[in-house]
Amino acid sequence: MLSVRQLTKTLGAQTVLRGLDLEVKKGDTCVILGRSGSGKSVLLKHLIGLFKPTSGEVWVEGEEISMLPERRLGSIRKKVGMLFQGGALFDSMNVEENIAFPLRESGVKNPAEIRDRVAEALEMVDLAGEQKKMPENLSGGMRKRVGLARTIVGRPACLLYDEPTTGLDPIASDSINHLIRRLQKRLSVTSVVVTHDMKTAFQTANQIAFLHEGRIYFNGTADVLRASTDPVLVDFVEGRSGEVS
Amino acid sequence: MVTALGRSALQFLEYLGELAVLAYDTAESILVAPVRWALVQRQIMEVGWRSQLVVLVTGIFTGAVLTAQTYFQFSRLGMKSAVGSVVAVAMFRELGPTLTGLMVAGRVGASIAAEIGTMKVTEQIDALRSLGVHPIDYLVVPRVLALFISTPLLVAESVAFSIVSSYFVAVNVLDVSGPYHLQNVLTYVGPRDIKMCLTKAAFFAVIIGFVSCHQGLNAREGAVGVGRAPTEAVVIASLSILMLNFFLTLALNIIFPAGI
Repeated sequence: MLSVRQLTKTLGAQTVLRGLDLEVKKGDTCVILGRSGSGKSVLLKHLIGLFKPTSGEVWVEGEEISMLPERRLGSIRKKVGMLFQGGALFDSMNVEENIAFPLRESGVKNPAEIRDRVAEALEMVDLAGEQKKMPENLSGGMRKRVGLARTIVGRPACLLYDEPTTGLDPIASDSINHLIRRLQKRLSVTSVVVTHDMKTAFQTANQIAFLHEGRIYFNGTADVLRASTDPVLVDFVEGRSGEVS
Repeated sequence: MVTALGRSALQFLEYLGELAVLAYDTAESILVAPVRWALVQRQIMEVGWRSQLVVLVTGIFTGAVLTAQTYFQFSRLGMKSAVGSVVAVAMFRELGPTLTGLMVAGRVGASIAAEIGTMKVTEQIDALRSLGVHPIDYLVVPRVLALFISTPLLVAESVAFSIVSSYFVAVNVLDVSGPYHLQNVLTYVGPRDIKMCLTKAAFFAVIIGFVSCHQGLNAREGAVGVGRAPTEAVVIASLSILMLNFFLTLALNIIFPAGI
């Protein structure tokens, strides 16, 4: 479904990704782990064409997208949806208008159909009945859920999650993790989840990739990661900085 | 010193290049993508309708003060009746478009840069792109078109009110004869002045649109970045209007020469 080959990305003077390779099979949930600033979100944004690689290739459903001009990426973006870290809701629109936005943009004009699909998407993220709220009146977790509803309303084949639990309390994080798994089952989507939350990784992934120094340092299942004795992986999984106070 | 000057010159050229690319993308969008007229309408309300007060006050008081000042100078030469025509021609050809342009740059340019800048740093523009919507189609084209439609109308309104205020001040506050005042305005102002006024307004509208959208789209992360975008948009658009006005005056005076 998704394939990244020899991806290199330089931002300013810093090379963030250094010849990275990654494959995600259809229907899988791949969690990309890595420390803050390791380039996880940069990698994710390449998968939907929001960033152009300095070199390398990005393949989505058999199509190489890295060199496609912005106007030709529209068809790819109908297949791949993305949940942004803060939800990225349009603050001039209420919840209903936000979720209806991709439908209206793709040419759906029937108000009843739009209303029903918005309600269905909200029900999937456990926010039924919140259509008229404005984004500023939503909590962080609710914003992410609405962002997710907006992403899934167009029924994409692949979902990209950028730090879905960052900034949420443990209960809200757990709820989002369950939501990711539920959506995976209900919609049979391929998912890529960028996080540094180990609980999210172990709860949602059937493939875990660890990004370190611009490359995929580890790629395997959660069980293999747990059993690893590699100090870089062990320190990350156990949250050890190595500092002594 | 020379290195610093060279670097500034390069930065300036780079900036002009970025504006040119934005202008090209906007023109391409208008040609290849459907224009979102509902958004254009909404922006006309923002840009045009909500700028009424600012533009009216600018026109009324510029016309009034210019009338008073011209009267004080001309009355010593016994040319009181020429006040109306001088004010009208000055308002049509220079002050109307320039001052209205500056006011629109301050009110609308700042608002556009702040709004788009906030959308940029909160990833709303990336969200638009991820939903298959081109930011130029959705954000830039409606604003530039709304400015292009609204600014000439705002300038015309401002000039019209400046001439009315000029008449009021000249005839009711100072001792200029009403019929003479009107006759001179009608004699010395012609279609060429109106065309020059509206042409300048259209150029200023485009400048305000592109500069403010560019500042918003290139806003840097954080409160400082978003805070800078509107300030820089207003400063750059205002300076551009003042400089471009000089060159437009020279060029348009050939096409629409002054005089009877």
